[in-house]
Amino acid sequence: MADPKGAPSRGSTGAAIGEKHAANLLFVLPYLLVLLVLLLIPLGLGIWLSFQDYDMLGGWNGGVGLDNFRNLLDDSIFPGAVRNTVVFVLITTPAFVGLGLFLALALNDSLRRSAVLRTVFFGSSVLSVTIVTLIWRLVYLPDRGLAADILGLVGLHGFDPVTSETWALPAIAVVTVWWIIGLPMTLFLAALQQIPAELYEAAALDHASRLTTLRNITLPSIRRTIAVVAVIEIVLQFQLFGQALLITGGGPNNHSRPIVQFIYEAGFRDLQLGFAAAASQVLFALMLLAALGQMWLSRRGEN
Amino acid sequence: MESWHRGRSLGDRLLLLAVMLLAIAWIAPIVWVVGLSFKPNEVLMRSTGGIIFPPFTLKNYTDILAASSVFGWMANSAIVAVGQTVLTLVIASLAGYGFARTDFPGRRVLFVLLLAALAVPEQAVIVPLHTMFAQAGLHNTYIALIAPRLAFPFGVLLMTQYFRAIPAEIEEAALLDRASRLKVFWRIVLPLSIPAQATLGIYTFLHAWNDYFWPLVSATKPEMYTLTVGLASMQTNFAQTEGIGFLMAQAVFAGLPVLILYLFFQRHIVSAVAGGGAR
Amino acid sequence: MSIRRKLPALPSLTVAMLAMLLAGPAMAQQKTEITFARFFGACEGDYGTSQDVAHARGECGVMTTLVNLFNATNKDNIVVKPQIIEWGPYYQQLNARIAAHDIPMIAVMHTSQLGDYTRYVEPLDDLLKEAGIDATDFTANARAGVTVGGKIYAMPWDTHSWLWHFNVGLFKKAGLVDAQGQPLIPRSVDEMIAQGQQMKAKTGKPYIIIATSGAGDFANGARGYYSWLYDQNGSIFPNGYEKADFKTPESLAAFSAYEKLAKADLLTKGLDGGGAIGAFLNGNGAVYLTGTWRIDDFLAASAKPGSPLSEGYTARVFPNLFKTQSVWTDNHSWVLPKGGTNAETHKAALIFLKFLWDHNFDWARGGGHLPARQSVMAEYAKLPLRQYVVDIPTFGRALPHEVHRQFGFQNMIGEEIANVINTGKTADQAADAAQDRSVALLRGR
Repeated sequence: MADPKGAPSRGSTGAAIGEKHAANLLFVLPYLLVLLVLLLIPLGLGIWLSFQDYDMLGGWNGGVGLDNFRNLLDDSIFPGAVRNTVVFVLITTPAFVGLGLFLALALNDSLRRSAVLRTVFFGSSVLSVTIVTLIWRLVYLPDRGLAADILGLVGLHGFDPVTSETWALPAIAVVTVWWIIGLPMTLFLAALQQIPAELYEAAALDHASRLTTLRNITLPSIRRTIAVVAVIEIVLQFQLFGQALLITGGGPNNHSRPIVQFIYEAGFRDLQLGFAAAASQVLFALMLLAALGQMWLSRRGEN
Repeated sequence: MESWHRGRSLGDRLLLLAVMLLAIAWIAPIVWVVGLSFKPNEVLMRSTGGIIFPPFTLKNYTDILAASSVFGWMANSAIVAVGQTVLTLVIASLAGYGFARTDFPGRRVLFVLLLAALAVPEQAVIVPLHTMFAQAGLHNTYIALIAPRLAFPFGVLLMTQYFRAIPAEIEEAALLDRASRLKVFWRIVLPLSIPAQATLGIYTFLHAWNDYFWPLVSATKPEMYTLTVGLASMQTNFAQTEGIGFLMAQAVFAGLPVLILYLFFQRHIVSAVAGGGAR
Repeated sequence: MSIRRKLPALPSLTVAMLAMLLAGPAMAQQKTEITFARFFGACEGDYGTSQDVAHARGECGVMTTLVNLFNATNKDNIVVKPQIIEWGPYYQQLNARIAAHDIPMIAVMHTSQLGDYTRYVEPLDDLLKEAGIDATDFTANARAGVTVGGKIYAMPWDTHSWLWHFNVGLFKKAGLVDAQGQPLIPRSVDEMIAQGQQMKAKTGKPYIIIATSGAGDFANGARGYYSWLYDQNGSIFPNGYEKADFKTPESLAAFSAYEKLAKADLLTKGLDGGGAIGAFLNGNGAVYLTGTWRIDDFLAASAKPGSPLSEGYTARVFPNLFKTQSVWTDNHSWVLPKGGTNAETHKAALIFLKFLWDHNFDWARGGGHLPARQSVMAEYAKLPLRQYVVDIPTFGRALPHEVHRQFGFQNMIGEEIANVINTGKTADQAADAAQDRSVALLRGR
């Protein structure tokens, strides 16, 4: 058995070191300034906007209190968009974390073959969403697409995810995982590189099995990275947009329209900036809740 | 732990087989993209199969190169992507170190604020941002193209997380020698964080390079277009039904620089020496 | 200054900058620059500096050669600088530019959008006169398109509309042709369903090909819905523009025409634009629902030996299944956004508009749309198959300009029709959904 104490303890890595000193603020000051000017102030303006009747071309018609939010509640599309977005995050986040970790573990070595494979799994990320969806629409074509052909081999005929209320969102999830698995994979690779070699040497001396090493050394060492990747994927996948717009347009029967598409349509197509801003605030609140929930879960897992 | 590939057990082989199968699923569409880019658009209107059979053409690529502004767009994209990457690395590394390893008044509160900012969707800020840059008269400048993304906290969070995992003893020793904080950061911590820098760098670059909506509404003068906006403007039909080969050539043309960059960066993400040791 | 200029070594950069400093102001005095915002793509590869307008093909080819020709031949030292943007986000960018006071001098606009923009574009009645453009030459359809509240807000450029494109070979095989070998056009919903069933029985192919899968394809269903609604003289605003009514008998009949086609399994499901056009070119469907702008593409395809269309291709106005023939139309037009031109550039912009007006036939011929000028219609009718569509400007219709957010309506209606086609939603359910969704589209206007 590997010595569990061999895993980096919290004392030596997690905490700040040195004196508490106001001068240390200088390290974070440049970022805080950018954050304030380019994110927090616009966010504040956006929150103000969500209480206004503001049409991009019709102009500003004054404050309307909570009307925009009430209209969201009563909307025939928005609640479905919230449901779709949450389901999508629940499908994709575990997939990104699991598959990303699997690939990172499998490809974390200096073999040339692994370098090639890492490039392959990263390669799809360089494509724009237009190209990714164009290709996958061909894959998903009813009757003669690649997916229909492959499923036809195992006796599943008539596969047409784009027109299926059940399968539209999972089909978009597959596209999304294919497109950007490179990010979690790379984040896990960078974390694996940080694990001190001595830990593994000690385990080898103990003749620990590989599974034991994975469980007792590798996973505990990158536990925080797993939590960070999960939070990052939650934040990213809540903002699903282009894939859904270009593959299903939100259909069928509003079963794949994400919140961002709703915001885009309300704000940029139908010019209702106040209404769209209100939907943005709902999205913000959901993302905040989900991210905090995830952080709380991983904290609890630590203790 | 033995290398996953060097081992000879059945488990190892199954694992390798699984990775290889996944790799095929990943690379097949990319091969398809490249293949389609060498096909005449009229042929693709009828069918997008049979990419290994003639006719082939280079016209999709020569059409891209015939655009008199294409290298100007590319230079704009390069300036924006490099600028954003360098600035992000500097700002995020400093802030990440500050949050991970130093203490200052308000540290906890500020870090919570940063985590909350992570949850701000782009859609919630893009309209106010556009108005702010319009009022400052900054649209159609590189500043407007580079600055907004510097505020997104992903990089700071990543670097904070990474610095925290570096054993503190290394720094403590240096601090005992009365080295300044900045010097410790610069001489000792930063070199250890190369894999995280490379990861953050490649993703910042990729995001900046592929960004579409913000450049579209900010850089409206054709000489300020980025490559994504410029290439998209060339599409000669509405529904992307007849320019498939041209679109694919654009994808290859725009994607290749990033892929090449990744090949350089990934050496720093998985270095030969560290990779050999950390299994 | 182009970015490429910045790349060479420092000395040449300095020289270049000096040259710019010296030449820049001088050049600005000589030439009047007209910024010209449009979609239609860029095609320097095929057209480069060509001025051969008469032989240009496609929207991009005609636009490019027209600008080249104007820049090379105008006597007033005007240079037109196109600012080309992708179709999809064109209006989003235009809105952003209006908000940032970064305004193009001339911009393309669909007349279906004009109602949203009247505050932001110059009224043109007097300016057109000043430019020497005769507004009495506008077709009825073009005139309606550019006129809002009695004033002209744009120079019309074309009419485009919605057609049935036929694979005549399949119609022959199904026995659905007249004595001249031309496809029989259905005159009622029942006739359409009967034809479709005969087609399916005789050829095994779907009667109708329609793209319904992505957001870009939703317009397709909506255009047919509007056409069938207008054939009954119906409206989705029978009681003023404050409230829509999708449950009128006329509206329900239009939805239900789609429902009957879907229930009888006579149209393609789940196809995107590329899949639909591929299906038609490969003979996997008898009628393709798409626009006037496709005629030349399909004529060219049918001329190729061995093409599944080689037994004949033709096109007709979207058939009237109800009372009076009408059809959905829209127009491209040119607007002068307020604040784009000043006293100096104003005249130059009008000179360019007049040049475009004089070449309206070239646009119709090469771009695939119907002309906006009555005086060139006879010449247009001589082009292949155009005799079948030439009357569209007399009976074609569009939503009134009082209806704002028309893209929103088009997308929403089209999405509901896609639901009818792809998921078995009934006409009633689709009309209900459209009714609910119209509330948000009408709010605040």
